[in-house]
Amino acid sequence: MDSRDRAARARLTALAHTFALAVAALAGALFFPFIAHAAPATGAQAPDFALKDLAGRNQRLSEFRGDVVVLTFWASYCGPCRVALQSARDAAAAVGGTPVALGVSLDRDATRAASVAASLGLESPSLLDTDQAVGRRYDVQHLPMTVLIDREGVVRRTWARDPVPTDVLLQSIRELQP
Amino acid sequence: MKPNGPRRLPNRGWQLIVASALLIGCAVLLAVRADATEAAAEVRTVDQDVQALKKELVDLNRDLFRLEEELLYPASTQVAVFLSVNVGTFFALDSVQLNVDGKEVANYLYTEREVEALHRGGVQKLYLGNLKAGEHELVAVFTGKGPHERDYRRGTTLKFDKAVGAKYVELRITDRDAALQPEFAVRQWE
Repeated sequence: MDSRDRAARARLTALAHTFALAVAALAGALFFPFIAHAAPATGAQAPDFALKDLAGRNQRLSEFRGDVVVLTFWASYCGPCRVALQSARDAAAAVGGTPVALGVSLDRDATRAASVAASLGLESPSLLDTDQAVGRRYDVQHLPMTVLIDREGVVRRTWARDPVPTDVLLQSIRELQP
Repeated sequence: MKPNGPRRLPNRGWQLIVASALLIGCAVLLAVRADATEAAAEVRTVDQDVQALKKELVDLNRDLFRLEEELLYPASTQVAVFLSVNVGTFFALDSVQLNVDGKEVANYLYTEREVEALHRGGVQKLYLGNLKAGEHELVAVFTGKGPHERDYRRGTTLKFDKAVGAKYVELRITDRDAALQPEFAVRQWE
C-alpha cells in the first residue's frame, strides 16, 4: 500500500512539474516579444526616436538624415563614457563638423547629465532618455555604446563596453563620407 | 616711294594643302560633334530610363503601402487621428499624448521643423488603428508654451460612435483671438 501511495505521489509530482514547465514555456513564448529587444544590426535602419535635449528642444534622429551620425549612449556614473563622448566630439570636429555627434544620456536625473555635459564642454546636442525607452530600443547592455549611422540612416558599426579610440572612429566616419 | 615690284603669288601646292587641311579639320570636327550629340542623346535616353524606373518604383512603393494599410487597417475598423495647426500664435506645440478608451496609443514629441511644417499647413497622421464598432472615448493632451511663454497643458475629449465605416478625427489647434488663448478643437470627418 505504501509503495502504491509513493508511486502515485511521484506520478502527481512529475505531473505537477510537467505542468509548471509547460506554463513557464507558454508564458515565455507569449511574453518574449515584449521583453526581447535586439540591438539594431549592422546594415539595418537605425530606429527613429525623438528626445528632449539639455536645452529643452526636441530632437528627432531622422532629421539628421543626410549627415553621418555618431550616437553615443552614456550615463553620468560611467567613467569610460566621458572618454567615448570626447572621442565622438573630437572625431566629429576633425572631419569638419559634418558628422553629427549625438549623446543620449540614460540618467534618470537630467541635472547630472547636464553637469557632465557642461564639464566636458559638449556643444553637440545631449539628449535625455530619462525613461530609457530609447536605450531599450537600441538594446544598450553595456556603457558606453557608440553607434555609427550613415547618411541614409543605416547602422554601420556599433561599439559597446569600451570607448572607441578617436582614430578608429575617424577612419570609420571618413569611409562613410562622400 | 617703294617701287612696285612683281607680286609673288603663293604656291598653288601650299594652297591646296591648306585647303585640304581645313576641309579635313572641318570633317573631323563635324564627326566629333556628331559623336558627341549621339553620346549626349544616349545619356539623355539612359537618364530618362532611370527616371521612368524611379517613378515606377515610387508608384509600386505607394501601392504596396496602400495594400499594407488596407490589410492591417480594414475600413470597417479603421480609426485615423490627424493633427493640424491653424495660425497657432498663442501656442507653441511641444507634444501630444493621445488616449483611446483610457489607453495611450500615441505620444508624439514635435521638433521645431515639424511645428514649422504644421504652421505651413501640414497635416500629420498622428494615429492609425483599429476599433470595434460602438462608443469610444478619445482624449488628447497637448503640452507646449502658451501665451507669455508659460507652460501650457490642455486636454480635449471626444466621445464618438464608431460605425461600420472608417472613422477620421482631426485635432485642430487654432487661435481664439478674443480671449488671446489657443483653442483645441476636435472634428469628425464624415
